[in-house]
Amino acid sequence: MTIQLTIRRQAPNKSAYWQTFELEIDPSLTILDALIQIKGYQDGSLSFRKNCRNTICGSCAMTINGRSALACQQSIRTELANSPVPNQIAIAPLGNLPVLKDLVVDMSDFWQKLSAVNPYVSTAARQVPEREFLQSPSDRAKLNASGNCILCGACYGACNAVDVNPNFVGPHALAKAARLVADSRDSETDQRLAQYNTATSGVWGCTRCFNCNTVCPVGVQPLDRISEIKQAILARSTTATRNQDRPLRHRQVLLELVKEGGWVDERQFGLRVVGNRFRDVGGVVSLAPLGWRLLRRGKFPLRFEKSAGQAQIKAVITALQQKQPSSKI
Amino acid sequence: MSALRYAYYPGCVAQGACRELDLSTRAIAPLLNIELVELKEASCCGSGTFKENSWLLEDTVNARNIALAEQLTLPLLTHCSTCQGVIGHVDERLKTFQRDRPEYVAEINQVLTQQGCAPYQGTTEVKHLLWAIVGDLGLERLRDRVRRPLTELRCAAFYGCYLLRAQERLPFDHPIHPTSMEQVFEAVGATPVVYEGRTQCCGWPISSYATAASFAMAAQRLQSAIASGADCIVTPCPLCHLNLDARQPEIAQQVGVALNLPILHLPQLVGLALGLSPEELGLRKHVVSTQPVLAKLGL
Repeated sequence: MTIQLTIRRQAPNKSAYWQTFELEIDPSLTILDALIQIKGYQDGSLSFRKNCRNTICGSCAMTINGRSALACQQSIRTELANSPVPNQIAIAPLGNLPVLKDLVVDMSDFWQKLSAVNPYVSTAARQVPEREFLQSPSDRAKLNASGNCILCGACYGACNAVDVNPNFVGPHALAKAARLVADSRDSETDQRLAQYNTATSGVWGCTRCFNCNTVCPVGVQPLDRISEIKQAILARSTTATRNQDRPLRHRQVLLELVKEGGWVDERQFGLRVVGNRFRDVGGVVSLAPLGWRLLRRGKFPLRFEKSAGQAQIKAVITALQQKQPSSKI
Repeated sequence: MSALRYAYYPGCVAQGACRELDLSTRAIAPLLNIELVELKEASCCGSGTFKENSWLLEDTVNARNIALAEQLTLPLLTHCSTCQGVIGHVDERLKTFQRDRPEYVAEINQVLTQQGCAPYQGTTEVKHLLWAIVGDLGLERLRDRVRRPLTELRCAAFYGCYLLRAQERLPFDHPIHPTSMEQVFEAVGATPVVYEGRTQCCGWPISSYATAASFAMAAQRLQSAIASGADCIVTPCPLCHLNLDARQPEIAQQVGVALNLPILHLPQLVGLALGLSPEELGLRKHVVSTQPVLAKLGL
């Protein structure tokens, strides 16, 4: 069939533009096959990365019809069905990374941020031991999802947090971090959790937009892995440490308020999370304009009504808290 | 057609800083032949943070919420993208686990029944007001009830992450290229404005501690909608509303440009088309004045 591929092209230090190619192709083939056909028969200057053609190497990640995907994994037929424009498929480079040429991006930041999480199993003695570091099948099974990662960059290119905060290490790095926190052979769990427990560069910088889970081509589910690191941080924290730190306090206060009221009493939420019950004067002051604005427009919730099921939900949460939290993911 | 009945889950924000959402949902329901049975014993879904304590916490709290609707043999109706994504995802997880990990569902039900709650059975469904309007009521019936066509109004949808991507299966919309909001806009006579960022994050979840990043995210959405010629953003999520409306003056200050883009809740827009007054829909209780929108409609 005849289809159109609209490709975002860019030469080094030049402005980007869209170019449409029309080609005759079997729709059961992949987007990568279509790109190879264009490069071979229409425009040899079209640049893109590829290698295995089989969802193993992760080289051909790009933006296809508005979301990150592997060109070798998506069929032309599926993408035609996905496209908001009839008979046309839009191809652009991965987001959040500078373009070198056409669909080839500079992945330096991606690799540097991966390095930043210390992505190696750290044993007490990295020297070659007398015998192997053994791992039970059930402990190995904990690494299945994160171990699938092929470092293609699809999640990083789609990440809302990276887009606005260049310090955020990204879903790929945190999925790898979760794999190491969960690894029974790793001996630096506490140091790792302390390192990942930061409001902007680490796990709390994630805004839970779910893009990484949606686009991951191999089921790593990076957001779920980030949640597991947060679970490990919260499981090791105490009431005192949770109160010292605003992202942790956010979680602590939400749970307290739900136990107290069933619903969240928003009059309390900001004051306790940001203001730390008036202990954080700067925090309280920062809330003042918002509070005043809400009051002035009649939006500030002056009253709060508990849920009729408050006692029950409190009992349920208390029962869950009394169950032992797992010390490892 | 007999009335559509739902177990109405109001959520925290519609009972707190966005009461106009609760007001407008209740106001449009009778006009659309929808009966809402409020879940007075329900609790907060955790807004996506309960799973950061443990999967078991998020699953159990929301299994209880779903079980309350099951007791009424009604679908649970949300009007918040976040509540929908969290509770809807728990429902689909637990339905899968009933087959694949029944011992996990049994663990949840043991906690629930020991505390006097009904157990989760997996016998109902969780749906957002948007899906109820498009899927259950139908756009034709909505169109028939329009008393004040919103012609001239250019509306930009802001879906909210959880409505599109928290659940693995959506009943009919597309997670990357959704159209249900735009379909509603057309049914009420308004013009949909498609702009970059309409399916992305508003920044709310990190606003309490990574405020600059949160505001930068919101600013991108607002500026993109404005550049596309929108008169207003319409959202099915009150948490998005809080960041985009209540914090819009601070966002404008951060980016150094005036924004003044009104942000409407979905049932407010529908209510205007059904002929309700701005007061009945709480449209005077926004931080960013909705007057330019009302003026365009001659109100």
